Amino acid sequence: MIDVRDLHKHFGEVKALNGVTEVVQQGEKVVIVGPSGCGKSTFLRCLNLLERPTAGEIWFEGTNITDKNCNINKLRQRIGMVFQQFNLFPHKTVRQNITMAPLALKLMSNEEANDRASQLLTRIGLLDKADAYPAQLSGGQQQRIAIVRALAMNPDVMLFDEPTSALDPEMVGEVLEVMRELAEDGMTMVVVTHEMGFAREVATRCLFMDSGQVLEEAPPGDFFSRPQNPRLQDFLSKVL
Amino acid sequence: MSALESFWTNIVSDLQSFGLQFYENIIAHNRWNLFVNGFKNTILITLGAAILGIVLGCLVAICKVSVANQKKALGHCHPLLRILNVICDIYLTIIRGTPMMVQLLIAAFVIFVTVPFDKMIYVAMLAFGINSGAYVAEIIRAGIQAVNIGQTEAGRSLGLTQAQTMRMIVLPQAVRNILPALVNEAIVLLKETAIVGYIAVRDITYVSTLIRSRTFSAIPLLFIACVYLLVVLFMTYLLRRLERRLAKSDRR
Repeated sequence: MIDVRDLHKHFGEVKALNGVTEVVQQGEKVVIVGPSGCGKSTFLRCLNLLERPTAGEIWFEGTNITDKNCNINKLRQRIGMVFQQFNLFPHKTVRQNITMAPLALKLMSNEEANDRASQLLTRIGLLDKADAYPAQLSGGQQQRIAIVRALAMNPDVMLFDEPTSALDPEMVGEVLEVMRELAEDGMTMVVVTHEMGFAREVATRCLFMDSGQVLEEAPPGDFFSRPQNPRLQDFLSKVL
Repeated sequence: MSALESFWTNIVSDLQSFGLQFYENIIAHNRWNLFVNGFKNTILITLGAAILGIVLGCLVAICKVSVANQKKALGHCHPLLRILNVICDIYLTIIRGTPMMVQLLIAAFVIFVTVPFDKMIYVAMLAFGINSGAYVAEIIRAGIQAVNIGQTEAGRSLGLTQAQTMRMIVLPQAVRNILPALVNEAIVLLKETAIVGYIAVRDITYVSTLIRSRTFSAIPLLFIACVYLLVVLFMTYLLRRLERRLAKSDRR
């Protein structure tokens, strides 16, 4: 589904990505861990071209999205993204946040979009907040809404960029719960996180990145119990 | 006559003489009409310049923001945009680097030297508009760029185009940063127009000077100071109401 070939991203002198080659199959839940500054967020942000790679190719569902003539807006409709800082639109109600893109892009009628929003909000138990503004909600609620806002576009894959890092500890659980349900429904997911418990439980495959490269990848069982790379061993000894 | 009585008599006679002087300086000899026309000109120049300034400021701000966005996304920008950007930079540098008074004199006596004196008010509007545009451009650019970059990223990640993201997500939030500063700029503009007398436009300050040269009284000056103050107070009142309304939509 996503095919990344020798991806490089340089910020001036800094080489954030240094030759990453990865394939994500339909239905996989790939969790990326690594120390801060290792390039994991940059990698994720390259997947929907929020960062333009310096070199290398990314193929998504048979299209080379790094090609200059590729219509990235069209492709982003099928790639959902959830941010660390939620990034809900503060001047819009919860419902408007969810329906804005499907309506603006004429993918749904008013009624369809509203029904879809209600259905999604029911699923995360926040239907009563439909007319509230983001500032009135807790961080956990905002992040759950940010997730369903992305889901409203019916994406084929969901990217999560440290979705729980900006949350108070007691709100992490509710967000992970929504992600867990999403995983059970068979969504293809690429998740950058520091939640090792979530990785162990939900991931089909874990990647360890450091200095812009993937140093180790394995199913979560092996990844956490029998890490091969010394840097991963060191990393795990610090975070577990 | 007791001391108190003479005190009151003095005050009454002072007030009477002030009333007379006020009448003589402001109302009599058709002077009231002069003031009304002067006030009309002051307001006209301010309004005309404000509108021109906002239009110019928007254009320059859009250019500067597009250049910044393109540079960030692609690492370079379209050659046409780059030329426009250079023109904008030159405009901003010259306008902000020279006194308004000098710009006004150059407009009137160098560029539009052939314009007849009764049309000078349009030259004043143009000069003040061009000057104001430079400051408005910075206000708008700063207002747009103060909106968190995450908002743009969220919009783009949903598949919205650059223009849709700007229109539906960034601009509505930027307006809150921009509007109060814009009203402030209008207040500054109003006060700055007091120099148009130098190119013989009869604004309220010029009228006061005309009358003062006849009566040698302080009253015309004090009077127009009050007029400016009243208008500024009114605009400040509008600004405060505006800010309250914008804060209301925070809905915390």
